[in-house]
Order: sequence, then structure tokens, then C-alpha cells
Amino acid sequence: MIALALTFIDDILNYNSLSIVGLQKNTGKTECLKYVLARLPLEQKRVAVTSIGIDGETTDQVTRTQKPEIVLREGMYFGTSEAHYRQRRLVSELIDVSDESTSLGRVVTARALTQGKILLSGPSSTLGLQRWMHDMRRHKIDLAIVDGALSRLSLASPAVSQSMILATGAAYSINMSQLIQRTAFVVDLINLDLTSDSNIALLTPLESGMWWIDTDGQLHEMPMVTSLSQQVEFQGMENCSTLYVAGALVDAFLEKVRKNKNLKHVELVVRDFTKIFVTPQQLRLFEKMGGTIRVLQKSKLIAVTVNPTSPSGYVLDSDVLCDKLSQAINLPVYDLLKN
Amino acid sequence: MQLKNVIESPCGLRFMLDGLDLQSGFARRWLLDTEMMTNAEEIAACYGVLQHFVDFVRSIEPSFLNTLLFRLQGVKDIRTTIKNLRQSSTLDDIELFEVKHLAILSTEVVKLLKEHNLDEVVDIPSLNEVITILDPDGMKIATFYIYDSYCEQLKDLRVQMRKNPEKQEDLLVEAADIEEGVRQDLTRQLHSHVDDIERALVALAKVDIGVAKARQVVEQGLCFPAISIDGSSCYSAMFHPQVKDALGRAGKQFQPVNIGFAYRPTLITGANMGGKTVVLKTLTLCQYLFQFGFGIPASEACIAIKDDIMFCIGDEQSIEKGLSSFAAEMKNIDAVIKASRENRKLLALIDEPARTTNPTEGTALVQALLKVLATKQMSLVMTTHYDIEPGTAHCLRVKGFDNGLMNYSLVEVEDGEVPHEALNIAQSLGIDPEWIDLARQELEKSE
Repeated sequence: MIALALTFIDDILNYNSLSIVGLQKNTGKTECLKYVLARLPLEQKRVAVTSIGIDGETTDQVTRTQKPEIVLREGMYFGTSEAHYRQRRLVSELIDVSDESTSLGRVVTARALTQGKILLSGPSSTLGLQRWMHDMRRHKIDLAIVDGALSRLSLASPAVSQSMILATGAAYSINMSQLIQRTAFVVDLINLDLTSDSNIALLTPLESGMWWIDTDGQLHEMPMVTSLSQQVEFQGMENCSTLYVAGALVDAFLEKVRKNKNLKHVELVVRDFTKIFVTPQQLRLFEKMGGTIRVLQKSKLIAVTVNPTSPSGYVLDSDVLCDKLSQAINLPVYDLLKN
Repeated sequence: MQLKNVIESPCGLRFMLDGLDLQSGFARRWLLDTEMMTNAEEIAACYGVLQHFVDFVRSIEPSFLNTLLFRLQGVKDIRTTIKNLRQSSTLDDIELFEVKHLAILSTEVVKLLKEHNLDEVVDIPSLNEVITILDPDGMKIATFYIYDSYCEQLKDLRVQMRKNPEKQEDLLVEAADIEEGVRQDLTRQLHSHVDDIERALVALAKVDIGVAKARQVVEQGLCFPAISIDGSSCYSAMFHPQVKDALGRAGKQFQPVNIGFAYRPTLITGANMGGKTVVLKTLTLCQYLFQFGFGIPASEACIAIKDDIMFCIGDEQSIEKGLSSFAAEMKNIDAVIKASRENRKLLALIDEPARTTNPTEGTALVQALLKVLATKQMSLVMTTHYDIEPGTAHCLRVKGFDNGLMNYSLVEVEDGEVPHEALNIAQSLGIDPEWIDLARQELEKSE
């Protein structure tokens, strides 16, 4: 098992950026981050780490369970807020103060000159996160790691990173088969294929609204604001080949698309998997009718980690969970605490 | 009056500002906070500096420009830090970093400007001593922490930390006191340089703004105005950049116009769609651009300095506030009359006053307005569709339909008699012939 775990550290080194995403609080995301940070070969790679929004508080704001600070090794770079930088418990050298402001002040980037503890709270918007990652490349960072919350509270999408590790566990559901099903669904979404290069070039700059591309490759804007709107009409879209939703994709909209006979074989494009808020049933029905969903941005899912213990203390059988989940998603699954 | 107060004027100032490729948010804020200039020497000096920047932009390699722009992107608004330093409150690591970052950046920018003798145009004070204070190891890179070299004892503590990580927490506490002492000492040393630091920050914003304005001059074909001494203004081949841009994108050309005015009221008449409102917008825009030191959209311009600029145009915002369009307009023009009674140099630009009421009273209101304002020491440019008595104003008319095409140029006319081209224009727009033909018959009846 340890040998396997080291393999996924090797996988990480193939990418310039990694996000570690928890499906729920207390699914072991922070444990996973600590695990990764402790094992990366710093002599080979310059590593920077940040977190989307407030994270790394000593106590979890929601469940009041203990939440450890992140321990950084000497030589690691990190992005955090001014407030948390002032509370750092290590010696570090400031290399950048960004214009990106969070509720805890601006995001600063520094290099650890000794090992030590830090509370991480980085950029809180997708654009801010992208900028930070871009800045890291300027500072010759080989690997930028994002501790990413996958919650409605976070406006920043972890999907801007090249690779991803997903943390799941009993906190997400204490019913094992439900946990496996729900996790497998998210894995399916993360693994959605990219749309064509020409669509990516055409659609990426569009940050809001709904758009469609006809069979001649012409782009049209739909006369309404969001996919949440009730009055969706698909008039004059007989030759629609691609439908792009810049905002959130929800059940009601997907159902309307599915029931429209002109859009039977439509390719529905969303920015990334975090924009998809549909139930597995709706998605299955949509795909069964001949529709496909594609994304503009995708991360390579490297591994899934599990925390078999729920915040209330309920414990699932780790080995069974790892095996069953691994079979369901066709990817290695690790219980890092156990190992 | 600051630029930010007039930025939303319907004359199109925002388009010009948005078109400036400024590198830092600080430069943008600083520009928006600048006061409108009303002093001839100040305006002349401002254009003198801009001329140097235009020469610079025209002569340099794109790669050199990119290097400079990249440096300017690094400028941060550290006014809060500067204020803290001025008050001698001990700066923390982030603030010390900001000061060092600025010092290194400004030194790099000075070096770049020196290559083109621009360092004499914008005075950036040397911050070498500041760098020495914050860079004890002479690394010359813009990073910062309380360096080991500041204090032998601190160095020892950190060596111990690395050797005994288990004792780190205690050692950090011990080091914290020493670090705070170093910060106090650094703050004391930096305090005597606070004026230079502030001047350098502002100078970097000025370089950013200068380069951006100069690039706008070159890219949009703007000119440097002469400053009028007799109160008259005149423009050759004046254009509105935003309208020109929109036309250009539709594959059409903007027809520039020539116009001059002094203290005698100027009345512009002419066909619908003849560009009268665009002329007023452009004149307003040019006046602001002039007094905020931008290039002027014309081939030549000589502009008189004004204390106040008032632009009255059908104002949607007042309608939103619940005023009828007539009431909103009357209030705006009322403000012009009140302002004209004060002893200030005023430029008023009024678009079709009293257009929303009946023509009999409308004509009377416009006629009377001209008489009221003609006696004041102010410049007035007004458009109208009403027939105005000869003699009250300097009259210009849009040339109008010429061989089936609109000719937007302005011609001098003896009186304010307005052309009757509305029906022809409507016809050329493809408006329903039943309506237009009936209107012609109505006209013939009344004649």
C-alpha cells in the first residue's frame, strides 16, 4: 500500500499544478495535503501551496472538530492572507504581495526558510487563483498545489489546476453503497471530456450568459440571462450543435434541453465540472437521449483518498471501502491515515 | 473638480480613459484623482511632458516598451504603508517588503528612462539608501524578511531552529522580540526617506500615465493643442474617437468637422442625423481632454481654458429620478444661467433645448435663452431645430444631404433658418411611404 501511495506522488510530479478537493468537510482533505507535502521531493521541484478561501483554521468552523495547521518544509513557497501571514510559526521570506484582496487581507506569497506551521487562506475567486498560479510560474515554481474546497461557499474553482486528488469519506455519507455511488458520480463529472479545441477557443472568453453554436460553426447568444431562468426558449435553434452554459447547470434546464426535439444530439458545454449541479438521474436521462456534456477546463484525476471516519465517530471498514470504490471508479483509492 | 467626477459625462470621456493602457491600479486611481487644470502654465507644462513621452514612444523598440510596461505593472498602492511610516508606527514585514519592492522597482525604472533621457522629464528620487537599509546582504532582489545579518543573536536562534525543530516554537518566541526590535530600528532609519518614497510612488504613476497617454496620441492620431489667449477655441478636422471607432467597425468612415467659437453664442442648425449632437459631445470631450492633459482628437486645435464646463443633453438619469424630460432639461439649463452670472469662465454646450414642448413656446424659449446668455462673458454652443431670428448668434449649419449622401461639415450661415430636410431623410431611411407622402401633402397645404 505504501509503495502504491508513493506512485501517486510520482504522478503528481508530471503536472505543474494540483488541487486537492474534499467532497465534504472532514473527508480528510487536509490529511491528504499534509501527506503530499511531506513526501514531495523538494530537491527536485519548487513547490508552492495555497488554499481557496479560508482554510486551515485551527478549528473547523462548521463542525468544531480539530483542524491542524499545515506544516511546511524548508524551501516551500506558500500563498496566504496577510492576517494569517502575521500568525505564521516559521521563518519565511516574502516574495510577493498581490492586489488580490480577501476578507483576511491581501494574498501574500513567501518562501519558508525553516520548517514550521502556517494557516493557509489564499485567493477566493477563480480569477484570483488563476492569477496566483500564473505568478507562481513567474517565480519559477514547478508545482503549485491548491487546497480546494468543493463547496457552494467557495467561488474559486479548483478545476483551473492540471491535476486533482479527490478526498471523500464517511463525512459525505455513512452508508457505504451511497458513498460509493455519490463519489463515483463526482468522479464521472471530473472525468468529463474536453470539448473540441475550436469550441474551447470560441467559448472560453464568454464569462456569462448562454450561447449556442450552429452546424456552420457560428456563435449565437441566447436572449436570456442564466440557465436558472424559468422562461427558457429554444426558438430558431433547429441547427444547434453545441449549447454553452457559462453559469451553473441545473436539473430544470437539463430537462428542458432533453425534452426539446431539436436538441436531441446536442453537445452541452460547461466551464468545468464544478458548474454542474444536476442529479445523476437527470444526467443519465440526458445522455440516454443522445446528448453529451463536455467541459472547457478539466483536471486529470490522479487518485481518490478516503477517510472512513465520520465527524460523529461512525467508522466504515476501510479495506472494503477502498476496494469497492476503486472498482467503481477504476482508479486507485487510498486511506492515508491508515497507512 | 477631479477626473472621477466627470468620467461619466455623456460626452464619452470614459471611452478615452478605458482606452488608456495603464499598467497599475494605482496609476488609474491617481489619474482619476487628478484635479482639472485651469492654469495655462500648468497645462503647457503637462503637454510639454507628454510631448517627451510621445517622442519616447515613437522612438523605442517594442521590446524596450514591454520591459518598461512590465516593470510598471509591479507598482502597488502603498500609501497606507507610507502613512504609517510618516507617523513612525513600526512597519511589519509586509510593509517593509512593500517599501523595498517600490525602491527596487523605481531604481529599475529610472535606469530604463535614463537610456532615453526621460529621467529628467519625470523626477524620480533615488531610493538607493532605502534599498541599502532593506537589503543588508546586497542581493538586489525584491524579497524581504528580517535577515540574519541584521542581528547576530537572531542568526544563532535560526541556526538552532534548523538543528532542533522540536524546540522551534520556543525559539520563535525568543526570535520574535529581536525581530520586532529590528523592525523598529528599520522604521526609524526609513522615516527620514518617507518624502522620497512617496514622491517615487507618484512619479511611477506619472510615468505609467505619460506612456499610456502618449500611446493613445500615437494610436488614435490625436494632436497637441495650442492654448488660446483670447478666449476663442477652434478645431480643425475634429473627430469623436468613440463614434469613429464604432463607425470603423461597421466599415464606415467618420467625417471630421472644423468648428470655432468665442464669446458670441454659436448656434448649430441642420438636418436630423446631421451629427449636431456628436459635435457638441466632441467639443465637451475635447475641453475635458485639454484640461486633463490628454491628446486632442483633431488635426489642429487651439483651446481656451474654462473654469466650468456644462453639457446639457437629454438626460435619461433625470427621467429615472422621476422628473419629466422637460423638467429635467429646464433644471439643467437653469443651472447654466445661474452659473453664467458668476464671475467664472464658462463653456456651456446645450443640445436642442426645449425640444420636447410645442414649437411656438419652444422657439420663444430658445430665442430668449440666446438673448440671456449672449450678454454674459461665456462661451455657448447650442443646437436647435427651431427658426431663430437673425443676428442673435453666430450660426453654423450642417451641410446636409449632398448628392444623396449626408455631408456632416459645418458651414457659416447668415441666420438661424433651419433646413427642411426631415421628410427627405425619413424617406431615405425607408420609412413607410403612406405616412411620408401624406406629410408632404400636409406641408403643401400649409404653404
